[in-house]
Amino acid sequence: MTDTAPAAPHRDGAASDSPVRDAFVLGGNRIPFARSGGAYAGVSAQDLLTAALDGLVARFGLQDERLGVVAGGAVLKRAADLNLTRESALGTPLSPRTPAIDLSKACATGLETVVHASNAIRLGQIDSAIACGVDSASDAPIEVSDRLRRILHRVSAAKTPAQRLRALAAIRPADLAPQPPRNAEARTGLSMGEHQALTAARWGITRQAQEELALASHRSLAAAYDSGLLDDLVSGYRGLARDENLRPDSTPEKLASLKPVFGVRSPEVAEPTMTAATSTPLSDGASAVLLGSREWAQERGLAPLARLVDARSAAVDFVHGEEGLLMAPAYAVPELLDANGLTLADLDLVEIHEAFAATVLATLAAWESEEFGRERLGRDGAFGTVDRSRLNIAGSSLAAGHPFAATGGRIVATLAKLLHARAVETGRTQRGLVSICAAGGQGTVALLESDGKA
Amino acid sequence: MSVRELSDVPSFPAIYAAALTPRPGVRRSATLPSEAYRVRRVRIDPERAAAFDHLMGGPATDLVHPGVLHVLAFPVTLALMARPTFPAPLLGLVHLRNSLLQHRPVRVGELVDVEASVRNLRPHRKGRTFEAVTTIRVDGEIIATDVSTYLARGGGAAEAERAGAESAAAGASRTAEAPRREFVPPVPTGRWTLGADTGRRYAEVSGDANPIHLSALSARAFGFPRAIAHGMHTASRAFTEARVDLRRPLRWDVEFDAPVTLPGTVLVGFEPEGASDGGAGAVTRCVGWRPGRDQKGPRRCFAVSVTTLG
Repeated sequence: MTDTAPAAPHRDGAASDSPVRDAFVLGGNRIPFARSGGAYAGVSAQDLLTAALDGLVARFGLQDERLGVVAGGAVLKRAADLNLTRESALGTPLSPRTPAIDLSKACATGLETVVHASNAIRLGQIDSAIACGVDSASDAPIEVSDRLRRILHRVSAAKTPAQRLRALAAIRPADLAPQPPRNAEARTGLSMGEHQALTAARWGITRQAQEELALASHRSLAAAYDSGLLDDLVSGYRGLARDENLRPDSTPEKLASLKPVFGVRSPEVAEPTMTAATSTPLSDGASAVLLGSREWAQERGLAPLARLVDARSAAVDFVHGEEGLLMAPAYAVPELLDANGLTLADLDLVEIHEAFAATVLATLAAWESEEFGRERLGRDGAFGTVDRSRLNIAGSSLAAGHPFAATGGRIVATLAKLLHARAVETGRTQRGLVSICAAGGQGTVALLESDGKA
Repeated sequence: MSVRELSDVPSFPAIYAAALTPRPGVRRSATLPSEAYRVRRVRIDPERAAAFDHLMGGPATDLVHPGVLHVLAFPVTLALMARPTFPAPLLGLVHLRNSLLQHRPVRVGELVDVEASVRNLRPHRKGRTFEAVTTIRVDGEIIATDVSTYLARGGGAAEAERAGAESAAAGASRTAEAPRREFVPPVPTGRWTLGADTGRRYAEVSGDANPIHLSALSARAFGFPRAIAHGMHTASRAFTEARVDLRRPLRWDVEFDAPVTLPGTVLVGFEPEGASDGGAGAVTRCVGWRPGRDQKGPRRCFAVSVTTLG
């Protein structure tokens, strides 16, 4: 980066003047994802994140390195974990002088940490970073009820024993019930699965199409393990070497025999088509991605796998039913590609997080719809078609599981490696898209690119 | 209309107790009282307003939820309706509709004058209806008007005969419309899971301790097999979820149909904000219904619309 003049605003945006430099994905490390109550029951989110970071430090020789930042987050987070990322980083051989930040955006948390850290690198504020995320459904925080909390605060503010007793007397048996995290959108009371069931019905997504996608996810992830693709992306932890949810031997018959799980409590909500096999299970796991400028990578002899080109986020009004809860990426992706002068056909690889098989299929259906393109995206017609042979080619969340904030890091590191390998192989620049939907009607998407050069 | 000044907002329990006390020898009047009740300088308590907001699932705002204005004025209306000579007994009245027009935002902590009156006693195929009207004023200027339409069951046919030919014709035409249209629910946008304590929690923030809402036992004493959710509770929650800009003048209309029994589940369907029929403002609509089960079809419980004006 040249900065001969004091930080004057850049008006012409010419490349040579640009204050923005490139940020690269240099590698990643995650622990195998476990099913809730499985191999990681009894360990904490901090344990899991520390393990993922520790593996990354070991893999890239980052002992005593002072990085620009460790940006991380978790969705299910205890109040005591306010500095979860900092505390986890302090438990690794990284220099204790490496700052950390905790971010939060539901299931998009992991990808947002990548965007946050790479933006700081692009602006020249820092040269290197780790973006990471963790979640443990097995160790999800359990809180006291709102009423009990308010009463206890009143008790602690009381000045006399009589006041204290009066405050305590307000406690009713029902107030004492522990409050686990709600599996429902705060504003609608519908679970995420039920919201997705509505969207699936709206787009006519069949059970069979969902099951085909789920089977492909399991087969692709199993193949990724078998081919060695994940050897330098995953480190075993607590006896687990592969993702606990992975079922390489699943069959169409087995999937077809499962009972639907969403849309069942109220059949009026939607024709039930979604099963446990086409929905991600509650999971435990952590992932980390190493990011750096070209210079920082070169100094350490690290190959820049892929450049983080750009990112966008979007949100939809699901509360009043204008759009489906998990459809925000259907809006964010067109915005991202337009801004970069690209179309879906220009993408070599596409990663759409499989919150549910139906989420992926509804997003693809929306992009293929003339009506959606015209009325929702304000285009002349349909946005386009994703070549299914380029979609989630190393498997995705249906097979791997989905520890919420860890999913972004899993996808970014895997995609960067795939893009780099293909760029080296073909000699052509390879572009990849990451699309992640999140609770609250939000979504974050990012564009990666690799020229295959070391 | 004469106005009787009350020194303070009457207490709910006292009114309900009075309404339950037999008054031998006192005859109910055939007409509505022409007197209005007024309480001056009632403070909108910020803590109570916050508790109301929280129960409805919204943030505690400095501009009050219009449901708070309703519950603030309600005891004054209730005192009027609990008079021993009132044409219908208080317990057993059915809230059919509510319409609140708010001309300007109201802040927590404001002092308002509340005036309650009743009007328009009319025959109905199931009895008689009348309207309770409350006005909220500050310095003599009306800032909100709340109109609640109630049904007093029974005695309708006899009353209708006695009423003029015109009213009788109106009543008959309404009866002709009577066969209930089958309710076809929209795509739901949410589900409210209402626990057995729903009525008690609303009573805590509203003060309205009507026994039919509090528990199955107290509801049974008044002929309801189970407790039912307070209509203004479901209507207020729908208002909160409509995400209305409280800085604007607004109109909040509610129609009540089937009761929401407790504990129970209500599916709700919002329509995204659209232009109002008159085209003057933006309207958000919501319906709530009991899901169908076995042979029983879905039943509409309420329909709420919120229109922001100007």
